[in-house]
Amino acid sequence: MWPITNQAAVRQTRAPVGADEATLLIDGLGRSFGQRVVLRHLDVALEEGERLAVCGPNGSGKTTVLRCITGTITPTNGRIAVFGHKAGSREARRVIGVSLSQERSFYLRLSGRENLLFAAGVRGIPRPHAVQRVAAIEEELELSTILAQRVDRCSTGMVQQLAFARALIGDPAVLLLDEPTRSLDTQAYDRVWAAIDARPHVTLVIATHREDDVLRCHRRLDLDVLEPDRD
Amino acid sequence: MSSSLIAISALVRRDVLITRSYRLSFALEAAYGVLGLVLYYFISRTFDEVSSSTLGNAPSYFAYAAVGLVVGTVIVATTTSVGIRVREEQTTGTLEALATTPVGPIELSVGLVGFPFVFASFQATFYLAVASIFLGLDVSNASWPGLAAVLLVSGLALAPIGVLAGAAVLVFKRGQMIAGTLVYLMTIIGGMLFPVSVLPDWLQPLAELVPLTYAFDGARDALFAGSGWEADAAVLAIWALILWPISLFVFDRAGGYARRAGSLSEF
Repeated sequence: MWPITNQAAVRQTRAPVGADEATLLIDGLGRSFGQRVVLRHLDVALEEGERLAVCGPNGSGKTTVLRCITGTITPTNGRIAVFGHKAGSREARRVIGVSLSQERSFYLRLSGRENLLFAAGVRGIPRPHAVQRVAAIEEELELSTILAQRVDRCSTGMVQQLAFARALIGDPAVLLLDEPTRSLDTQAYDRVWAAIDARPHVTLVIATHREDDVLRCHRRLDLDVLEPDRD
Repeated sequence: MSSSLIAISALVRRDVLITRSYRLSFALEAAYGVLGLVLYYFISRTFDEVSSSTLGNAPSYFAYAAVGLVVGTVIVATTTSVGIRVREEQTTGTLEALATTPVGPIELSVGLVGFPFVFASFQATFYLAVASIFLGLDVSNASWPGLAAVLLVSGLALAPIGVLAGAAVLVFKRGQMIAGTLVYLMTIIGGMLFPVSVLPDWLQPLAELVPLTYAFDGARDALFAGSGWEADAAVLAIWALILWPISLFVFDRAGGYARRAGSLSEF
């Protein structure tokens, strides 16, 4: 057996919301990969505009939490609902903006702009609107250089900014970001948080190791690597 | 335009842009196809006259093989593209990003097969033009609308094999080899480069069960007789009606399996 040795802990600066009013509800989430338990009985309820920082060492399950919310991984136990829709359902995916595995999620032969227009297209956004939206995000995040280049010619930090821009392209109500500020310079970091601040209605879940990211969130979830029971 | 059509057109546009970024590959693929035609042109000249009835109305073995190569171009593109594309998305890491968008299995399947089918149809037209202008392929009796219809329903009937290959890739990672092997087998049984009548007696009835047989027969009827392709097109349409729902169901289930296994981001 592989029981957990540390429970996840949630610290909060806002009163917790009830399940009925939650924008994002995580109820008893557990996830195992084979015999290895990564998450066990995680409960979180976030309301509109609430920000949750997910912290913990490498391998503690931060990305797994995000993947379960996006629906690219199915929970082993428990359930996740986004505006009442099951995680991974088409309805849930419509309202979520995601930035995961930034360096490995773009079509490298295409420019940043073409990648963003593609992301808008598969979200069903008509081309003229997509062009307008990309232009607005380009201006907001100051991405002209990045959007003009092929992605395989962009640096890690540039690709991270592009991934954040892509997460915003569908005007999401829920934003899931996996270490989005890891490789950013100070100016880009400020632009990312300014964009999040400009969207106070967006519910945010951010996996991060940076304390300055955590300080900008209402709640903090600490995860630990679950060790096997040796007894 | 509905959101589904917008998503499909985004997938097709992406494939156009990626293909266009490798400019030399256009010329190389065209040259490769023409070399295939030239090869069979000279093979054909080593034969004595073969009865046209044996060759499904084709006036010569070269004409028979040329249609096999032309239709085969479309068939291979539609049956292997989804599996290959899904595999590329796995290895480059874009599959998970795609799975976070609202795009569904129908849009994804049609979107992934759309560009390869259209591109292969243009290639097929080019090969036919080369064969008729430079290699003496007689197309004077051709029903061009008939040929277009046969190629279209062939794509519709055989694309689900590609979707099934995509499902196999989601589960087994290298499942596109399954589709490749299956299609290769079907081209042998279906009469791509030699008539079904030369196969062993026990194998010939199997040709009736292979949709590729109707694609090749229908194209030859349309091109060399100008008629008689309608029945083949109808059989292919029935295959399409049977195979699409099955392949979409399997593709959807394969996606569910990958989500449960947590393997969408693995390669």
